[in-house]
Amino acid sequence: MKFTLNWLKNYIDTGDLTPEQLADELTMLGLEVDSVTPLFQDLAALKTGIVVSREKHPDADKLSLCQVQIGDETHQIVCGAPNVREGLAVVVALPGAVLPGNFKISKSKIRGIKSFGMICSERELGLSSEHDGIMELPEGTEHGQVFIDAMELSDLCIDVDLTPNRADCASVIGIAREVASFVDNKLSLPVTNASIETTSSDFSVEIVDPELCPRYAGKLIKGVKIGPSPWWLRRLLLSVGLRPINNVVDITNFVMLEYGQPLHAFDFDNLDGGKIVVRTTTTGERTFTTLDDTVRTLDADMLMICDGTKPIAIAGVMGGGNSEVSSETTNVLLESACFNAVSVRKTARKLNISTDASYRFERGVDPEGTINALERAAQLICELGGGEMGTDGVDSYPGKVEVTPISLNISRTNTLLGLDLSIQQVTKLLTSIELSVQPKGDNILMVTAPSFRIDIEREADLVEEVARLVGYNNIPTTLPTVDLSYPEQDPSRLKRLNICKKLTTIGYTEAINYSFIAEKHISMLTIEAGDKRFNSVKLLNPLSEDQAVLRTTLLPGLLENAKRNINFQRPAIKYFELGKVFFPKEINEQPTEENRLAGVLSGNLYGEGAPLYFKHTAVDIFDAKGCVEFILEAMGLGNITDTSELQFKIPDSAAAEVFATEEYSLELYYNDELIGSVGRFQDDVLRSFSIKNEIYYFDLNFDALCRLAAKKVKFSSLPVYPSVTRDIALLVEENVSAGQLLTAVQTSRDKLLENSEIFDVFQGEKIPDGYKSVALTITYRSQTKTLTEKNVEKSHSKIVRMLTEKFGGSFRNA
Amino acid sequence: MENELQSLEAEAKKSLSNLEDVKQLEEFRIQYLGRKGQFSTIMRSLGSVPAEDKPRLGQLANSVKSEIEKLFEEKSQNLHRQSAQASSGSGPDLTLPGRCPAPGTLHPITKVMQETCAIFESLGFSVAEGPDVEVDYYNFEALNIPAHHPARDMHDTFYVGDSVLLRTHTSPMQARVMESQDPPLRVIAPGKVYRCDSDITHTPMFHQVEGVLVDKGISFADLKGILTVFTQKMFDKDLALRFRPSFFPFTEPSAEVDIACVMCNGVGCRVCKKTGWLEILGSGMIDPEVFKKVGYDPDVYSGFAFGLGIERIAMLKYGIDDIRLFYENDQRFLSQF
Repeated sequence: MKFTLNWLKNYIDTGDLTPEQLADELTMLGLEVDSVTPLFQDLAALKTGIVVSREKHPDADKLSLCQVQIGDETHQIVCGAPNVREGLAVVVALPGAVLPGNFKISKSKIRGIKSFGMICSERELGLSSEHDGIMELPEGTEHGQVFIDAMELSDLCIDVDLTPNRADCASVIGIAREVASFVDNKLSLPVTNASIETTSSDFSVEIVDPELCPRYAGKLIKGVKIGPSPWWLRRLLLSVGLRPINNVVDITNFVMLEYGQPLHAFDFDNLDGGKIVVRTTTTGERTFTTLDDTVRTLDADMLMICDGTKPIAIAGVMGGGNSEVSSETTNVLLESACFNAVSVRKTARKLNISTDASYRFERGVDPEGTINALERAAQLICELGGGEMGTDGVDSYPGKVEVTPISLNISRTNTLLGLDLSIQQVTKLLTSIELSVQPKGDNILMVTAPSFRIDIEREADLVEEVARLVGYNNIPTTLPTVDLSYPEQDPSRLKRLNICKKLTTIGYTEAINYSFIAEKHISMLTIEAGDKRFNSVKLLNPLSEDQAVLRTTLLPGLLENAKRNINFQRPAIKYFELGKVFFPKEINEQPTEENRLAGVLSGNLYGEGAPLYFKHTAVDIFDAKGCVEFILEAMGLGNITDTSELQFKIPDSAAAEVFATEEYSLELYYNDELIGSVGRFQDDVLRSFSIKNEIYYFDLNFDALCRLAAKKVKFSSLPVYPSVTRDIALLVEENVSAGQLLTAVQTSRDKLLENSEIFDVFQGEKIPDGYKSVALTITYRSQTKTLTEKNVEKSHSKIVRMLTEKFGGSFRNA
Repeated sequence: MENELQSLEAEAKKSLSNLEDVKQLEEFRIQYLGRKGQFSTIMRSLGSVPAEDKPRLGQLANSVKSEIEKLFEEKSQNLHRQSAQASSGSGPDLTLPGRCPAPGTLHPITKVMQETCAIFESLGFSVAEGPDVEVDYYNFEALNIPAHHPARDMHDTFYVGDSVLLRTHTSPMQARVMESQDPPLRVIAPGKVYRCDSDITHTPMFHQVEGVLVDKGISFADLKGILTVFTQKMFDKDLALRFRPSFFPFTEPSAEVDIACVMCNGVGCRVCKKTGWLEILGSGMIDPEVFKKVGYDPDVYSGFAFGLGIERIAMLKYGIDDIRLFYENDQRFLSQF
């Protein structure tokens, strides 16, 4: 809601308050002042001038050569306007001035004649679209003044961010009422307590659906001369960003802003049958042309204002082209009505129109303010448009509601607010905003809210008024007294936080991406129908194609992050994200939400820094796998062995992750449940993301990991006797996997065997083609004695023999 | 015996004065002072001297030995000092950086979210989470925002179905928690929320933390108390804050909380739109209508609720001027936190 300070002062004397203080007081009353802006500052350089002489331009028929007096100086200006004439007071932009639209004025030569500035039209000043001639200032305007001061344009525009409950403050008078609560001055209103005593014989009003239209009033003004509004009115409208149109339309807009009551003016001569019918549409009325020349498609339940035969306006939303006031109009039927808020809102929504009128009706207008606004506008039309009217009109009010007082319990109010107010104090506060108050005993007030406060319906609403009027900052600040209890936390959330923190310690950075992705991301990952991730939840009203569906995988977001960082010369990437993905269920049902933990790795394992100690090492599949092992370990699920329920498996090529290269694809299973995968993206997939660098990933079902029971930490006593390690190198065929060798050792059940690890895998020089050398270190220990060479040799030779027999390998001395 | 001791003393002193570096110290110690050294040998031979000489010779031997030990200790210290002096200049270049693989960082949203939760957890609030995709009932109806209420204009809602939507705030958790638990309760609900709005100050997804406290006799003054504690812990204990009337359909009275602009210290700047204040959260006393919907008796219980925007707090805390930076996941941004 925008208004100007001077406009406000028409209704309330703000005393010594500075504009800043006023804005602050309003804000602290709940009318948040968004901005206080000096108006027309872009016109501050312009001056008023008087055309002292006008001659025809010697070389151009349509141009005039003018001498313009501005203070002590006379300036020669060439002007093309037809209305420039001697003695006219005009607005002058001298060289150096900049007009709206960044139009810079400088000295120039026009058809050989020097011109020192420009005489401006209203359009050039941004004041209207008028460009038929220059702006004519009122007779008697003194020359040499600052234009915006001379024309009283210097004012402050105050913009209040209204909350939906304060419909009454969508009007300057509404704001003035609030101001009255803190300046202690009386309101002065142009029209109060107006009523229509005699019913007009010129027209009738029929309300077919009183539910949707509790009140409809009208007045006929005859002999109106349509023309431009006087300057003061145009100035006010311009100040709050409205475009002046003509006197009648401007007056309806002005009074709407003044009283908060939307008004509409019909050209009475275009109405059939001299009557107004308020009804919903009939089947034959499915289209309607509004006054903005747009054809609207109507619904059966839309409320229309009709004449004897046809719709002439969409009630509370917008008038029709067929009845709009034009320059030919002489008889104006002025409407002031009250429409059902939900009905107006539904209609405006469906038609996708939001007007100043619909905004106010949706929030509710004062049903008792109808006639005051009607009377005010009618008077102004007579005054400014030369119309005539009688005291008669029509006021159809089928929806009048008796107001019932609300009981306010003072002690409950004090308890709720933490205050200690007396009944007298509360009375004083509430009456300052025109609530009427009747004590009932010493703890109850019976409060009647004025009709414009449609938001006050219950005791809670009154408590809020008390709090607001006391001032929130005058309410004490205390800590609640409550019973002590242990705050239970969501274990899954704690696990998420723990993992995120731990991953950062090993060099991973956390990313957070939007929950939505582009639908094409799914096909870019070559995910196909049949895959759980193929079907996504689609937004019905997405902001863009790139954010059109809820993600079914975290990987597209992470790949986009990788791309961005590569493009910005940060190719060393170790990113992870822990977030939800969404799988659709039935239509109109909430989808399944699943927390996943995914990561992408690329470039130098050690990041961009510290090349001194950490030589460039490209990340590979084992870094990705290692990260998953780290995560499992951190969640108490580590130490995967051949017999544990959690297992890495190398998938069949057909079953492998679709976007992973065949040789670099690993899956994590819990028994038969797929928990996640690790791998390297195929080049084609990366190309579709415009990424040239190699990227590895892991992607885990975090909720599933959380469900698995973490191993309880259990202490095992430290060994008493020393261990003995033996290294062996085996030459085996290259298709023998390291995992097979380790499993074979671990399952040998030798009672001295403590541990076995791979420490080298080698192919190349001195190794025959098709073979590789795998080096293992095996640790032996006894719980009962220090092992002798002989003890170890017995066990070790058995294991070596088993390995060579089982894998056909030959034994290389390590 | 006496002579032997004297010549050993002289010899030991001489060889001690000839020692040149730290390594020779140990050789000396073994030769003279060790368990098998020359002094020990002499001491052992004391057994064979006549009994009347024993005390005198014993005393003499001890005093000579301790004299040598004292001199050895002095020499040792000197040599170690010299050695330390000599070695400086030939040691490692300690201006080189230390060695440790670089850690990653948590996303600033996670950090601020966690910090926020920790403050409330320490005040005894438990933490609950809810679905990102909500039904109309919990997002609106249960919060006293019926269909066609103008307050729905405050929420630019993404829909995924009829009455199924991306939650526009974390407030649905108020209703969900109150429905499933009896009062008293103290709960916060962190999470992602969505609105179809995107510009320099809005992203279509952002994070909130919702809080609810319900008990007997809870007042607006208590709401001010809890939120003052939070703000002072999150920002600065001397930071000015104010409570300002506002409107939310599910609280009454409703309050917005502003802090003195952290960019200009309340003087007025572009960020605070020259007001000197920055809005950081919305709050209010839970509306009796909401209590009725979840089956709480508004005549017995009262409580307050609040909702914090995490991006907003993070921006103010770290001086971030463009909200979109949070979701670009640029390393140059993330590595700063």
